[in-house]
Amino acid sequence: MTSKTKTRTRAKTASGPSKEEALRMYTQMVRIRTFEDNANQLYLSGKMQGLTHMYSGEEAVAVGICEALTDSDRITSTHRGHGHCVAKGANYKEMFCELLGKQEGYCRGKGGSMHIADQNHGNLGANAIVGGSMGIATGSALRAKLLGQDDVTVCFFGDGATAQGLLYEVMNMAALWKLPVIFACENNGYSEYTKTEEIAAGSITARAEAFGIEAFQVDGQDVLGVNELSKKLVARCRDGDGPFFLELLTYRYHGHHVGDINREYYRSKKEEADWKENRDPIIRFRAWLVEQGIAEESEIDALNAQIKQDAKEAVAYAEAAAYPGVEEVDMHVYAETDPATLRAGK
Amino acid sequence: MPLDVIMPALGMAQDKGVLLAWHKSPGDPVAEGDPLFEVETDKATMEVEAQGSGFLTDVTASAGDEIPVGQTVARISETAEDTGTTSGTAQDSPSDEETPTSDDHQASPAMPEGEQVIMPALGMAQDAGQIVAWRKAPGDAVTASDILFEVETDKSVVEVEAGHDGFVAALLAEKGEDAPVGHVIAIITREKPESPFQQSLSAAGKSPQPAEATKSAEPAPANKPAPASRKPAATPKAPGAAREGRILASPKARRLALERGLDLARLAENGYPQPYHVKDLDTLAQLPDAKTPALSGAAPSRYLSADVAAHGFDQFAAWAAEEAGLTNPGALLAGFAGVSLSHTGITVALETFGKTRLFEVRGRRLGSLVEVDPESGPAPDLKLRDLRFGHLNSLQTGPEEIPVLSVLAKGENLTLTLECAAEHLDASAAIALLSDFAGRLEQPLRHLL
Amino acid sequence: MREITLSQAVNEALVEEMRRDPTTFIIGEDVAEAGTPFKVLSGLVEEFGTSRVIDTPISEPGFVGIGVGAALTGARPIVDLMFGDFIYLVMDQLCNQAAKQHYMSGGKLSVPMVLRTNLGATRRSGAQHSQSLQALVAHIPGIKVALPSSAYEAKGLMKTAIRDNNPVVIIEDKLMYQDKAPVPEEEYLIPFGEANIKREGSDITLVATSSMVQVAEAAASILEKEGISAEVIDPRTIVPLDEKTLIESVKKTSRAIVIDEGHQNYGITGEIASRLNEKAFYYLDAPVLRMGAMDVPVPFSPVLEDLTVPTPEGVAENARRLCAGEMIHAA
Repeated sequence: MTSKTKTRTRAKTASGPSKEEALRMYTQMVRIRTFEDNANQLYLSGKMQGLTHMYSGEEAVAVGICEALTDSDRITSTHRGHGHCVAKGANYKEMFCELLGKQEGYCRGKGGSMHIADQNHGNLGANAIVGGSMGIATGSALRAKLLGQDDVTVCFFGDGATAQGLLYEVMNMAALWKLPVIFACENNGYSEYTKTEEIAAGSITARAEAFGIEAFQVDGQDVLGVNELSKKLVARCRDGDGPFFLELLTYRYHGHHVGDINREYYRSKKEEADWKENRDPIIRFRAWLVEQGIAEESEIDALNAQIKQDAKEAVAYAEAAAYPGVEEVDMHVYAETDPATLRAGK
Repeated sequence: MPLDVIMPALGMAQDKGVLLAWHKSPGDPVAEGDPLFEVETDKATMEVEAQGSGFLTDVTASAGDEIPVGQTVARISETAEDTGTTSGTAQDSPSDEETPTSDDHQASPAMPEGEQVIMPALGMAQDAGQIVAWRKAPGDAVTASDILFEVETDKSVVEVEAGHDGFVAALLAEKGEDAPVGHVIAIITREKPESPFQQSLSAAGKSPQPAEATKSAEPAPANKPAPASRKPAATPKAPGAAREGRILASPKARRLALERGLDLARLAENGYPQPYHVKDLDTLAQLPDAKTPALSGAAPSRYLSADVAAHGFDQFAAWAAEEAGLTNPGALLAGFAGVSLSHTGITVALETFGKTRLFEVRGRRLGSLVEVDPESGPAPDLKLRDLRFGHLNSLQTGPEEIPVLSVLAKGENLTLTLECAAEHLDASAAIALLSDFAGRLEQPLRHLL
Repeated sequence: MREITLSQAVNEALVEEMRRDPTTFIIGEDVAEAGTPFKVLSGLVEEFGTSRVIDTPISEPGFVGIGVGAALTGARPIVDLMFGDFIYLVMDQLCNQAAKQHYMSGGKLSVPMVLRTNLGATRRSGAQHSQSLQALVAHIPGIKVALPSSAYEAKGLMKTAIRDNNPVVIIEDKLMYQDKAPVPEEEYLIPFGEANIKREGSDITLVATSSMVQVAEAAASILEKEGISAEVIDPRTIVPLDEKTLIESVKKTSRAIVIDEGHQNYGITGEIASRLNEKAFYYLDAPVLRMGAMDVPVPFSPVLEDLTVPTPEGVAENARRLCAGEMIHAA
């Protein structure tokens, strides 16, 4: 069997995005970066508690893929999930409220950073179990097929999660049943505090190919490339041509979680600086926007400043927002069932 | 706006860090990303970068300090001048203490400081009481003995006193709401409150219970319901209730009762509230033999007791002997007892040293007491046992054919008991009788007024 | 006596046992250079190398299964599960494979494996990183379960766990890693099935495990001021359980509250309360109360999360009411 893996290079501008699409992708990437800068600061200053994981550096992956989706398409996210949430259309206010455990958060404060979800935009939620959402995503795709709905589900997970057996069980079924699911492996080079090459044998894309799933290795720092390929695969999924597997080569700028500060034992500061300075998805795309005459530097600066201001306001709002009432604590343990549906003969 | 420089959260199991060295001095210009200071954590060190540009000011921590995560250690200001405003404490940097419970953004009014009135424990199996009515409104003046509210419990309604003098500053439950026992439901302040208010329990539940930490474990005595005492005998239960179904008792109390040949049902018959525990067995053991009382065990009974100082009566008896020639203090007692029961036409049987004498009490005056022949006189309405010169210091013998008052000496005091069947006197009549009798013994001159 | 943190105590126990027995090794996620996220294993890889301190991929069923196989064939693996919540991921390997080997082989095979993991809420870690799941494993015959309540127990129980010939799940309280306690320099082991009477008392017995021992001790201090004398007992291992000590105590005090951070429904508290009920029934002067974590997924929001675990005030209040002869749960 010949390898179907395709290595993608820079997208051709001819089939590129419209001006609006391009600006929107840039905006969304900056919104993610700005969100994370604020979340990081909230955590470091002790205002946000628990565990949180920064998406900074991987923006082109979430934005490139989610900009190829509609609100009825679903995604499942990871412990490093703020980026997916923003990219899928979530608002700052509800997100910051959730991170601070406030009533107005997307999950009424009950989920927090690692369980943030936004059903209105098809985000089925972050997951604190590595690889925990692979079954969920595949199930969502099975539902679409069974019910004749044309939405596509994207399952985000990291390179570390390829070590979970669940992946192989669900890829097998997805391939057998031709489900509209895209397995998007964000390979940031590190499985928690360990180099991926030390924990993953062989090729990652070859794992999917073993099941006959078409697999692609993509530069995850190139939002245009990610977006162009995603659009094609989403369309093919809708035509019953799924599933697909993407390995997106990317990098996380922060530690595994906020607080993972001493990390020189597993990766060097030099390597970090190289990715930040030479391969940053936002810097690259900004240069492209200017080069293409889509936006001027001053316009982009103004846009960045506006996003920074939005984040600041949302943080202030969330800090002042109310916590949930104590009566919330045992609400939502069980979902209600309409007794009418339980009557025989109905 | 100045930017706080904060001790960062450094690791999963870390709640503080040691500041090893500053890389900038107060007043130095700093640019975003400049290393500001070095921190030791997990046996490694790291540099903390400036989060913004400006001048380092208000440095509150020095090299070597161990600093909790989230604490402000300096500021980055627009000028090199110290603003002198940073407190260096968790004020701007909520750490664990602040986040969990504070509820700053709740719209509910601030809780006034004052005496707390709590929902009292009214019955053994009661963990909440329904507020039937508030008798005072927010802002009203109250004295400690004023009735503040009515509570429904065990199918009866109890009035509860305010317990404190002052003003009603806050009512924290609405009429009709169920308040858990021990829950603060009102606040009484010494000064007239500026903005007294009332809110529902559900609203109050959202704001922290005022001064949780200082709340005493047991309801303050002053808050106890006025008529209801937890002494079993003062609030005897109807026998029906006591005998309904099985007796509630702990396994250990049952086992020990069995071993000691005691019948727990008799506690119920005598009006002691259930469930029974080991400590109730002593009471049970002291109950008189069930067969002695003339009335059947099924009859409901009342048992009340009171203590009064003895000297008032002793002085009076001495005076009466000298001035009025009434040399029998027992007869004086009989007169007091008769008048306490009714103002006219009562016959009292006086038992002293095993002998019974009969007196007709025709009025309040000392002379209106007439001794009659026990054989031919009218049937007595009341029996009085004068046991002041014996060794007993308490007794409980169960109801007899007529109500029985006993007088026992107990140190400087007299202990008065009243026992009767429920059908003889209703609860309030029994309370009135004993209270009246006690009052007369304490201040005998009152008897003559 | 010197005081060390619970984290250091575990580390010392592992070092001592790994020096003692060359068939021991540690396997799990980020156990080597990272020394786990809680840094409990810092320094071990330097001494024992990556052949005995083995980093794995994020493959929990896989490395637990590997641990079972190694144990079955002559090694003594110490398997590190980063969070107690991941027990769900390894249930088959632990409960179907490890727990039953000795029995199924008629006593010919055994699985001398330690699974060390953690429990505990109020770290704001959300519903999937805050659970206390000891009841799940304690339910399965063939597995021993140890719940250290301080640095002293953490070291002594870990050493016993490693030498025990059965699968042992040892669950540390992740909020206690930095808590210090006196730990002797000289070697000691704590036998399984021996409860520790942390504090003697005569009015009520507080049986508490792991994180709840501190809560029970704080409650006992509150009660002492009110004239109620509470006995605090830490069973230290829930399988095997030192019933004798618990029952003797309850015979003396006639009252008991059982406190554990696992969910109250179908939990450790119910099991222990039931045994006291069965075996000390005629000595009970009050119902045995259970106090576990509230039966809800652990909420993230701090204001809600703090409501879900037993507190010293809550324990004291229940103790007070039991001693007063109140019917807490009126029929």
